[in-house]
Amino acid sequence: MEQVLAYPAKWWYDAVTVWLVVAVVIYVVVAVPGLYFIMKYRFKPGEREVGDHERHGHWGLEALWTIVPTIIVLVLATYSFAVFKKQRTAPPDAMTIKVTGFMWGWQVEYLDDKGNTIKTVVTSFNPTSYDIPEDQKIVVPAGKPVKALLTSLDVIHSFYVKPARITEDMVPGRITHLWFQINKPGEYWVFCREYCGTGHSHMFTKLKVVPPEQFALWLKGETNLAKSEINKEVVR
Amino acid sequence: MREAISVPYLRAGFKEWLFTTDHKKIGLMYLTTSYIFFLVAGLFGLIIRFEQTVPGQQVVPPDFYNYLLTGHGAVLLLWWAIASHIGGFGNFLLPLMIGAKDVAFPRLNALSWWAFFGASVLVLLTLIPGNHIKMMWTGYPPYSASGDAGVTALYVFIIHLIGISSIATAVNFITTYIKMRAPGIHFWNTNMFVHTLIAANVIQLVGVPSLAGAVTMLLLDKYLGTNFYNPAKGGDPLLYQNVFWFYSHPVVYVQILPVFGFFSEIVPTFARRPLFGYKSMIFAVWGITLLSFEVWIHHMFVSGVPDWARVIMSYTTILIAVPTGIKIFNWMGTLHGGAIILRSPMLYALGGIFMFLIGGLTGIPNAMVAIDLGISDSLFIVGHFHYVLGMALTLGLFGAIIYWFPKMTGKMYPEGMGKLSFWLTFIGANLFYFFQMVVGMLGNPRRYPDYPPIPEWVTLHQIQTVGAVILGLGVLVFTIGIIKGLLSGEKAPDNPWQSQSLEWRIPSPAPVDNFGEEHPKVEPDYHPYKYGAPPVF
Ligand code: HEM
Ligand SMILES: [Cu+2]
Ligand SMILES: [Cu+2]
Repeated sequence: MEQVLAYPAKWWYDAVTVWLVVAVVIYVVVAVPGLYFIMKYRFKPGEREVGDHERHGHWGLEALWTIVPTIIVLVLATYSFAVFKKQRTAPPDAMTIKVTGFMWGWQVEYLDDKGNTIKTVVTSFNPTSYDIPEDQKIVVPAGKPVKALLTSLDVIHSFYVKPARITEDMVPGRITHLWFQINKPGEYWVFCREYCGTGHSHMFTKLKVVPPEQFALWLKGETNLAKSEINKEVVR
Repeated sequence: MREAISVPYLRAGFKEWLFTTDHKKIGLMYLTTSYIFFLVAGLFGLIIRFEQTVPGQQVVPPDFYNYLLTGHGAVLLLWWAIASHIGGFGNFLLPLMIGAKDVAFPRLNALSWWAFFGASVLVLLTLIPGNHIKMMWTGYPPYSASGDAGVTALYVFIIHLIGISSIATAVNFITTYIKMRAPGIHFWNTNMFVHTLIAANVIQLVGVPSLAGAVTMLLLDKYLGTNFYNPAKGGDPLLYQNVFWFYSHPVVYVQILPVFGFFSEIVPTFARRPLFGYKSMIFAVWGITLLSFEVWIHHMFVSGVPDWARVIMSYTTILIAVPTGIKIFNWMGTLHGGAIILRSPMLYALGGIFMFLIGGLTGIPNAMVAIDLGISDSLFIVGHFHYVLGMALTLGLFGAIIYWFPKMTGKMYPEGMGKLSFWLTFIGANLFYFFQMVVGMLGNPRRYPDYPPIPEWVTLHQIQTVGAVILGLGVLVFTIGIIKGLLSGEKAPDNPWQSQSLEWRIPSPAPVDNFGEEHPKVEPDYHPYKYGAPPVF
């Protein structure tokens, strides 16, 4: 079996595929006859000067293209509802981190069993490049679900975990959440996608996914991961 | 023929324009203003586009970029996508299509225009350095209430003035339709454009107060220290989003419905046959209008609102696809069995319909909340609404401008330039917006002047810029066509397209007193799409 790169991205890709197939089919079903009519029923002087002015409609057809689309969209919405439930419900064994947005960066807190902060990563604002110092990457264990509790110190930001295809806004005065699991060690982009002013497009960092043993060491402060085995090329 | 009193508008004196209450002159002033604003905001869009071509900062610094993007969004949405057809075509055509002398309250109409003019002046004031606003057209607090956002007050007053203008217009148009129809014009033989116009104005009447409330609270928060949106003092930033989108979602139907009206006028005329499913078209319009107020959470699918609210509005949103689909199918039905003449207004209308099909189909993943969690606030959304607004709406408006140009100016729009501008605009826009959606699917956030040098992203951005340049050329050709038509266009016959609709029974350009009497005579079997006889060209 092929290994799944990330959750909930797996289900997201499935949903996108379903939509794309439906959309392309509908497009063809509508556009091809439409184009054909434009070719075929062309005005020709002396030959075809008046359109068919008897038919003003057709109740059967009109009912058909009301009912069939209604069914299709209701099925799509219900399917999306089922996926949505999985996207929003973190597995019970998920590890929790707290992420707080500010202009323009994030503070990430790692918690122990009692909910006390044991380690903090803070990103800094770099308006000119997309390089990230090693100690400003968000380190998470591979193959383990992570639940992120989100909030903000100033304006609204968001937390988009690109490999997991999931976003949620960070709203001051509220705690929102999302969860993700990345199975393959490597480095992945994280972006702010809610407009937050001058530095918006430079509010980013990378997720550094490492094997669980290395993560445990890192969390205890016994490694800075500088010599980590991770292939730096894998950046998605 | 009443040639004698058919005075070209260009010859009316300055004073007459200044104090006019004539619905046609007011309509033309709206349309001209919106078109000029469209050009300026489109130029902003091009600068934004150039900045995104490659990573890093090339053309403009981020703060100025954010101002340009705010201006681009706000001006295109409020001027080009609303004022042009409601204020412009709505004013010009509504009384003509229902056989009336003017709107119900001509002086209120002038007030609408001047409030709109005031808003336009305020927009120009934001061009002055130091007055830039850069909170995006959505103006979300707490950002918009912060010092970084620029002169929030200007934004609020622009919305207030536009709001006053819109409400006055809505009252005026709805009353006009109810009270001023010529005997013989009733619900089932009213032009589709009028049906869509009235539906759009009902939305305006219900919705605008909500937007006005949202921005008023913003004004109070920022300048008078209230805390509606300040979480530190018990306020809630999401309150703004709810109140804002309660209007600003339905507004997309204010924007697109009259364009559906254009399609429904133009397609039967050039297919030489009645509009297919006229009655179901009317039901679809009102279905969309009703549903439009039940879907606003789809703009807040990742904003932190409760999950149940997201699911409910996911269903209501996706249901809008049904009435919208009905309209598309009916236009296709109109083509079937027609005698299709591909004059430039028809090209524009057909192009608009086919692009709206893409716009609609790419709207579905935004409604499917599961997919939206991955594409919210990405360039996919921007590509999607450019398909709807930048293509369906813009092509529809261009088509409408060419189509009613004779009635408005007494001249014909040069056909060759119409065709050329269509193909340039159509090809360029597709190249641009399609790849905007693709790069968005790959994760590129929106409102990003800069982005990391991910190779696929860079390639996709470069294609978009090529598309935008071609699109820009198309708009340029179209604009030159307008000027050429005005200066040296062929003299227009009264009914160049052999339309059955009332507005074509009067001379071109439309005379000051419309039909010359209170109402024109409307035959008992009048219908705007009663095509039967061969056209005489
Ligand atoms: C004239 C050709 C146009 C060009 C070159 C253009 C270009 C752009 C670009 C580059 C963006 C920025 C996307 C981002 O990075 O977030 C944008 C956003 C936008 N455009 Fe256009 N566009 C054009 C036409 C239109 C039209 C006709 C409309 C509406 C009627 C429109 C409405 C918008 C809106 C609402 C936004 C979003 C602004 C925001 O994020 O607040 N555009 N456009
Ligand atoms: Cu941001
Ligand atoms: Cu919407």
